[in-house]
Amino acid sequence: MRGALLIVKKEFMELSKDRKTMFFTFVMPLILYPLIFSMMGKLGQNDEAQRVAKPSRVWLVDPSGLVAPVLGADGKTIQVVPKPEGDVKQAIRDQKLELAVEVDPKAAEKLARHETWTVKAVYDRSDDSSRLALDRVKKAMAAQDKIWVGERLQAIKASADLAVPTKVETEDAGGVGRAIGKALGSFLPYLLMIMMYSGAMQPGIYCTAGEKERGTLLSLLTTSIPRSQIIIGKLLYVFSIGIIVAVINLLSMSFSMSRLIAGEAAHAAQGAAAHPAMADLAALASPAVLGLSFLLIIPLGLFFANFIILGGIQARNTVEAGTALMPGVFVVVFLGVFSMAPGIEKMAFLPYVPVLNVSLAIRKLFSQQANYWEYAVALGMTIGLAALMTWVSTRMLNRESAIFKV
Amino acid sequence: MIQITDIYKSFIVKDKKTRSKMKIEAVKGISLTVKPGEIYGLLGPNGAGKSTTLRMIAGLMQPDAGSIEVCGINSQREPERARATIGYLSTDISIYNRFTPRELLKLFGEFQGVEANVAERRGIHLLERLHMAEFADVKMEGFSGGQKQKVSIARALLHDPKVVIFDEPTTGLDVLTAKTVLDLLKIMKSEGRTVIVSTHVMPMVESTCDRIGIIFEGALHGDASPREVLDRWGVKTLDEVFFQLVADKERGVA
Repeated sequence: MRGALLIVKKEFMELSKDRKTMFFTFVMPLILYPLIFSMMGKLGQNDEAQRVAKPSRVWLVDPSGLVAPVLGADGKTIQVVPKPEGDVKQAIRDQKLELAVEVDPKAAEKLARHETWTVKAVYDRSDDSSRLALDRVKKAMAAQDKIWVGERLQAIKASADLAVPTKVETEDAGGVGRAIGKALGSFLPYLLMIMMYSGAMQPGIYCTAGEKERGTLLSLLTTSIPRSQIIIGKLLYVFSIGIIVAVINLLSMSFSMSRLIAGEAAHAAQGAAAHPAMADLAALASPAVLGLSFLLIIPLGLFFANFIILGGIQARNTVEAGTALMPGVFVVVFLGVFSMAPGIEKMAFLPYVPVLNVSLAIRKLFSQQANYWEYAVALGMTIGLAALMTWVSTRMLNRESAIFKV
Repeated sequence: MIQITDIYKSFIVKDKKTRSKMKIEAVKGISLTVKPGEIYGLLGPNGAGKSTTLRMIAGLMQPDAGSIEVCGINSQREPERARATIGYLSTDISIYNRFTPRELLKLFGEFQGVEANVAERRGIHLLERLHMAEFADVKMEGFSGGQKQKVSIARALLHDPKVVIFDEPTTGLDVLTAKTVLDLLKIMKSEGRTVIVSTHVMPMVESTCDRIGIIFEGALHGDASPREVLDRWGVKTLDEVFFQLVADKERGVA
């Protein structure tokens, strides 16, 4: 094993000489995610603040004159505007106004007869401001409805509870954290897979096909280090890079996300000390969940590293290796996207499908539905697969056709 | 000491036009012995089988048949042990440009089982011998071909090998650098090492090698001192031996 560790040392020494690669692999993610997430957070908060502060522009058709005082009551949230030129729907899509409200022409008579009358609203579902305007109108109308119902009940000397026979009270058994955990568990394996594979691909090509292309591989083979140890050394290096890249990216991303959530929570609670979601999130990221997830990632990373080494060592040069390994990215993306699909955890065969069972196990760990039999199967299968690939890689490097392919 | 007995090596290559596979016999029944304190020159045109023979001696390739012993170690059965006794240099081998010579030599010393500080000391000593000591801490990216070759030589000799295999050691080198390499070969001979060299450069053979073997189409011709080879063929230069071999082949004699 000493020889393999010396090869790992050599590879890391070589990598350390390449400042550009070091920067883009290890430093960039630490800068990029906080930058992107803080920008996203700030932009989102500013946008939200501006939208809330601005009154919604509503064109109102109200022949009965019943709704106009309701909507224009405070003037801060709703601003009644004149009819826009041309088509009203187009005007809403063009953001010349947020909402058009048309009140039943016989509203006053129907109200007097205690009949239901309609308020028709036209809005743009794809526009946040338009949706906000609709919410405001609905809220204003609901408040007014309460007053009218109250007046009717008072007129017949009935209790205010007459119109509310039941009241549904809800309590979230899962908590906000579980909901976040489910969402996180569905896309975390995808992120891990894509980061591990793509992060390890370039260094993997550089230390295999790149060494052949540059003519340095032969100098390693002339030493007394056994070939099996050379390949294991390179494998450990590519595996380490994959894991390091994935961990750095995830740490940077989770740090940035937690800051974003904390910022959002503080913003929503206007300076409140803590948001309940944060406590749930802390419980979710327990050492056991993180540790068990990491344990699964190790053999998966080794499997990916083997795949990269195998492709790299078979290729004549870096271009050929890149072409051979690129489809792997699409496979990993496909597997990742598949693992995000809703309802896949109900597929009975999935715990026995390699790679995908890792996604499933992580997903269940994060949604607090861990099945330890399925976890053990996923771990065992991935370890077996990684060991098999290591054996194949070692045999491949022993083939003269692989070494002297030019 | 190198002892080669009746080795054969063939390759399967694919014809790109017909997509059919062809068997090429690169080495056909070569036997030779190189003793300690001797420089053996392996001559031959491109594709004759010189590099394949040297690679088999170094344990980088396995012969299809026959046996190779290096310092009494069978290089097929124990390639790692055999390689520990060999210093191998080839034009196919490049150096790691990102390192300085000191870093490279320390690292390769460790690969060969030499302690890092010992490897560094030996490496610097070799660089001094090759007039490269002042570049010990300079990144090799900007080195000339000759400078890189000198570092490669130092890398090959770092673990104090008993057997030295140099495949075309002076190819692409200027006259002065080539002379440094040839002088080093003579020093290694005087130190009692077994040296085997392949080359195209005939004056180098005549001035440096004790014995030569001419490989032509995978078979060994000659295996005697340069003078004896010239006398046997009745020619004045080793180039003429090649011309005769080609002519013999065309007549169907060789």
